[in-house]
Amino acid sequence: MSWTRIRSVVLRHWIVLRRAPHRWFEISVWPILDVMLWGSLGVFVAKSDTTSRAATPYLLAGIVMFWTFTQAQFAISLGVNEETWTRNILNVLTTPLNEAEYIAGLVIFGMLKMVLCMATLTVATVVLFDFDVSELGWGIIPIAALLIINGWALALVAVGLVLRLGQSAEILIWGLNYLLMAVSGVFFPADALPHGIGVVADYLPTTQAFSALRELLDGKPLPWGTLGVSLVGSIIFFGLSLALVVWLLRLFRRRGFVTRYS
Amino acid sequence: MSASDFVVVARSLTKRFKDKVAVNGLDLEVPAASTVGLLGPNGAGKTTTLLMLLAVITPDSGTIDLVGQRLPRHRSRALSKVGFVAGYLPLPENLKVREALTIFAGFYGIRRPETVISHAIERFGIGHLTELQSSELSSGQRTLVSIVKSTLHTPALLILDEPTASLDPEVAGRVRSALLDIHREFGTTLLVTSHNMKEVETLCDRVVILSGGSIAADGSPTEVAAKFDTEDLEAAFLEVASRSRKFGTADDRLAGDRGGEHR
Repeated sequence: MSWTRIRSVVLRHWIVLRRAPHRWFEISVWPILDVMLWGSLGVFVAKSDTTSRAATPYLLAGIVMFWTFTQAQFAISLGVNEETWTRNILNVLTTPLNEAEYIAGLVIFGMLKMVLCMATLTVATVVLFDFDVSELGWGIIPIAALLIINGWALALVAVGLVLRLGQSAEILIWGLNYLLMAVSGVFFPADALPHGIGVVADYLPTTQAFSALRELLDGKPLPWGTLGVSLVGSIIFFGLSLALVVWLLRLFRRRGFVTRYS
Repeated sequence: MSASDFVVVARSLTKRFKDKVAVNGLDLEVPAASTVGLLGPNGAGKTTTLLMLLAVITPDSGTIDLVGQRLPRHRSRALSKVGFVAGYLPLPENLKVREALTIFAGFYGIRRPETVISHAIERFGIGHLTELQSSELSSGQRTLVSIVKSTLHTPALLILDEPTASLDPEVAGRVRSALLDIHREFGTTLLVTSHNMKEVETLCDRVVILSGGSIAADGSPTEVAAKFDTEDLEAAFLEVASRSRKFGTADDRLAGDRGGEHR
């Protein structure tokens, strides 16, 4: 691994972010809109039922943690897509930069974006709904870490599919995110999902992470058992995603798919 | 000559795309500090060969040693001594020229690129372009910047795929001069594909003509012309093209995928 090469990946994506105002939307405008949408819904529900678990803190904490997951996913998948949009893949593949260095650069850059996004979300939730997610304490960190691992894993799946299916598969970058959002009980326990889907949801490491978040919001101690199960699931998911992307990358080289992007 | 005297040693290189053979048992050796033209009609296997040499496409069989490093295992080490320029390949649109050069210098492992970039900008006379974005460059300017980008690390081998395609004769001439300067000053090997036979005669001591994924001729431009009993390289090329026209090859399919005429 070369730090010089990793740093260049970070610099490349930082310049793109700095130069393109529309790229700030994913770390500012869209998260703020989500806070407004879910926060308002929480306020509305709380007015009719003050004991409801669906009240503002649950919905806002859910959306803040969902954006943690989303930013981790976008860091890798949109980073790779930036190269396809600008027809830069062949340029990159013909330099000594290797896949691990490239992903490491994207992950570092993604973490910087995540900090910016979290700062935006925190300010938005405090200003708009008087809710500060940091008041949940240190317990939020292992939950966020699990969601970040799952975001990276899902990004590898999305990247693999784009490599295999071409640019038309980019829609999956957003689609897969919302698929996982729908079945992970971001705002509600998995048993609220339709039967069958709820059973599947129980096995997802993201469901367990969001379940731990609700425990924290209820003022209970962090459920380390649930987090442990989520960690095992996250590691398995990440391992399978890595194996998938390595296999699809080999296929990409074997079938000469690079010519789609040059 | 020992193995270390060659920047490319490819043995029995074969690549199929579905049922079509793009490269068929190719053996190719390129000595260090030489200038070699890789020619052939559309679909002859030139681009597939170059992309295999760059470890971007994996061969079905055969071995490649690039600047003394076996591919794909030592891809990163090998590519730190290789540059690649393609006339059809743009620089990232959203970067200014100086930024793109800084980033690619980093990819090549140059820790403090400022001096290297300044020298390269001066050498190629592109100082007036450094604050422009890639999308603002003309084709010729883009090719020049691509050459600068691919030679920042003083490569032992510079692979060029149609470097002057779509350039006007004046700009193409400047590009050729720049390439020959690099070759003479640093002993950089040039491996060039082109459909411009005059360009190949200017740039290359040796030409390898591919047809149907195999070598149809290999030698100096004069030797190749003599082999086909033609008066010059262009006539020899046309002879090979007319013979291969009967056969559709997999590289044609690759060119079609990209929408490129000559790739």
